[in-house]
Amino acid sequence: MQLTLQILANGLLLGGLYALLAVGLTLIFGVLRVVNFAHAEFMMLGMFGVYWVWRMTGLDPYLAVLVVTPLILLVGIVCDRLIIQRTIGAPEVTVVFATLGLSIFLQNAALMLWTADIRSVTTPYSAMVLTPFGLRVSVPMLISFAVAMLAAAGLWLFLSRTLYGKAVQAVAQNREAAALMGINVRRVYLWTFSVAVAAAGTMGGLIAPLFTVYPRVGMSYIVTVFVIVVLGGLGSVPGAVLAALLIGLIEAAAGFLFGAAWAELSYFLIFLAVLIARPQGFFGRRGAEVFAGR
Amino acid sequence: MSLGQPNGLRWSLVVALPVAVALLAIPAVVTDVFWLGLGITVLMWAALATAWNISAGLAGGLSLGHAAYFGVGAYTATLLFLRLGVSPWLGLLVGAALAGALGAAIGAITFRLRGPFFVLATLAFGIVVHIAAVNWRELTRGAAGLLLPFGGGAQNMLFAGIAPYWYIGLGLLALTLGVTVAIRRSQLGYYLVALREDEDAARALGVRVVRCKVAASAISAALTACGGAFYATYIQYIDPSSTTQFEISVQIALVAIVGGLGTTLGPALGAVVVVPLGEILRAWLGGGPALMLYALMLIVIVLAAPYGVLGLLQRLVARLRSGRGPRGAAQGSGGRA
Repeated sequence: MQLTLQILANGLLLGGLYALLAVGLTLIFGVLRVVNFAHAEFMMLGMFGVYWVWRMTGLDPYLAVLVVTPLILLVGIVCDRLIIQRTIGAPEVTVVFATLGLSIFLQNAALMLWTADIRSVTTPYSAMVLTPFGLRVSVPMLISFAVAMLAAAGLWLFLSRTLYGKAVQAVAQNREAAALMGINVRRVYLWTFSVAVAAAGTMGGLIAPLFTVYPRVGMSYIVTVFVIVVLGGLGSVPGAVLAALLIGLIEAAAGFLFGAAWAELSYFLIFLAVLIARPQGFFGRRGAEVFAGR
Repeated sequence: MSLGQPNGLRWSLVVALPVAVALLAIPAVVTDVFWLGLGITVLMWAALATAWNISAGLAGGLSLGHAAYFGVGAYTATLLFLRLGVSPWLGLLVGAALAGALGAAIGAITFRLRGPFFVLATLAFGIVVHIAAVNWRELTRGAAGLLLPFGGGAQNMLFAGIAPYWYIGLGLLALTLGVTVAIRRSQLGYYLVALREDEDAARALGVRVVRCKVAASAISAALTACGGAFYATYIQYIDPSSTTQFEISVQIALVAIVGGLGTTLGPALGAVVVVPLGEILRAWLGGGPALMLYALMLIVIVLAAPYGVLGLLQRLVARLRSGRGPRGAAQGSGGRA
């Protein structure tokens, strides 16, 4: 019983971290109809950003996140202007391979700038553990989880409660009609993309005190996040959050039962099964899966 | 789109014959192991990209999981030889049959999906095979890899020198190109063109959509597996990171896209451009910066010329023939974005 609860707690905490990454990815797909293969590279940039701010100035990593996130937003704006805007309406091959190219580019840029060394951020509270009801919960993990959940909730409130958010939703529903209603579609694309990748950067900053940082770290997250957004329904924000928690649980449980490698295999098989049986995911709008890439 | 039309059989013979003679004579002229080795690598990637193009260019399924078929080919030929003493010549065929069956199965379940969903499904499939290759240690020895014995003899496709591999690679490329041309001229080829242009209209006219795509996927997978078996016997050592890894899938796609997605000769041409360029960049700048430039090239190509170098050239020729200047053609091809 105790063990089951511990696995549940670990899974939920992990899933909460995935959620912030997944929300951005699903938003980019829902609005721009672009599968952003480079999404986790922005998380990697966030991790490195926080690492270097902490290393150079000694600033607390959680405060460093506040410095780094606007920088990632800027990188997002540049990437959108240079690459993403040009893929809108282009053939499918362009849409897929432009962001894939961006991912390889950012990975190797990081490799060149910061070498392949594995780095980690340590804080006085790194090893601190709370023990509610006899469970062991890492303090930095809990902080990161709480901030990630707050950020995801904030994004959701922005989308559903503000006029800007409604403009974003209108573009997601029908690009042409939104443009006819006087919405500047290009600008919505720009802000959706850059805010979503900035959220990925925030997530990277939040996990910097928890996990090691290296240029290819995005690789181990991106596919997991694809699994999450497809499971939740590509384009659905609440779906992404719920699926993230679910995948966190599956990963923790299967990791305990079968070992890490086979756990990974198990959720890929779930992924394939979902794609085949219900490609719109659990919360996706029907018909998205037959979108032809234009 | 006029990319699919065979333009003048007689003309292509006039060009192809001297090219074929020159290619056959290469090992006699180029004796330096480095250059001949580079040539063999070019041939292998040309064959792999051509095979990928059957799925991606002809049937419209941008697969990011072809490393799985490459790995199935490499591991089947190697394991059959190491465990049962079966000659890799035969192992190559078994691997191709296995990958073909796998390609048909995967094609049947993924080709219903469109756009990004297809890409993600093939990506996941590739990763499942990679995880299996790394972790099923009893069979694959995992990351330690499998070593083929040196000098197993011609009957086992294991030669001491590398010149024979030039000819095998050439044969492989000829096979993939031949299959591509044959598909284009067959009923299947016309169905696939119809599907690519307008799937709903083709379906309405009675084209068995899924059956066509499954056939293309199976053929593409089988040919890719042949490339895998060739790689295993040429390098004589395989491990998951050199066969089933995601990067291999990306590289196959990249070569084909740079050359010209959907064209017959484009993917092979892409290998002639990309592989030596990659070697030069790596020698000159080192691994990281070389990959950065590689990625930049991929981004620029897909943004500026989504149908690759050959697509660009063909469009240029078409413009010239229709009487407009090359200036107009260059502008026209860039105007897609």
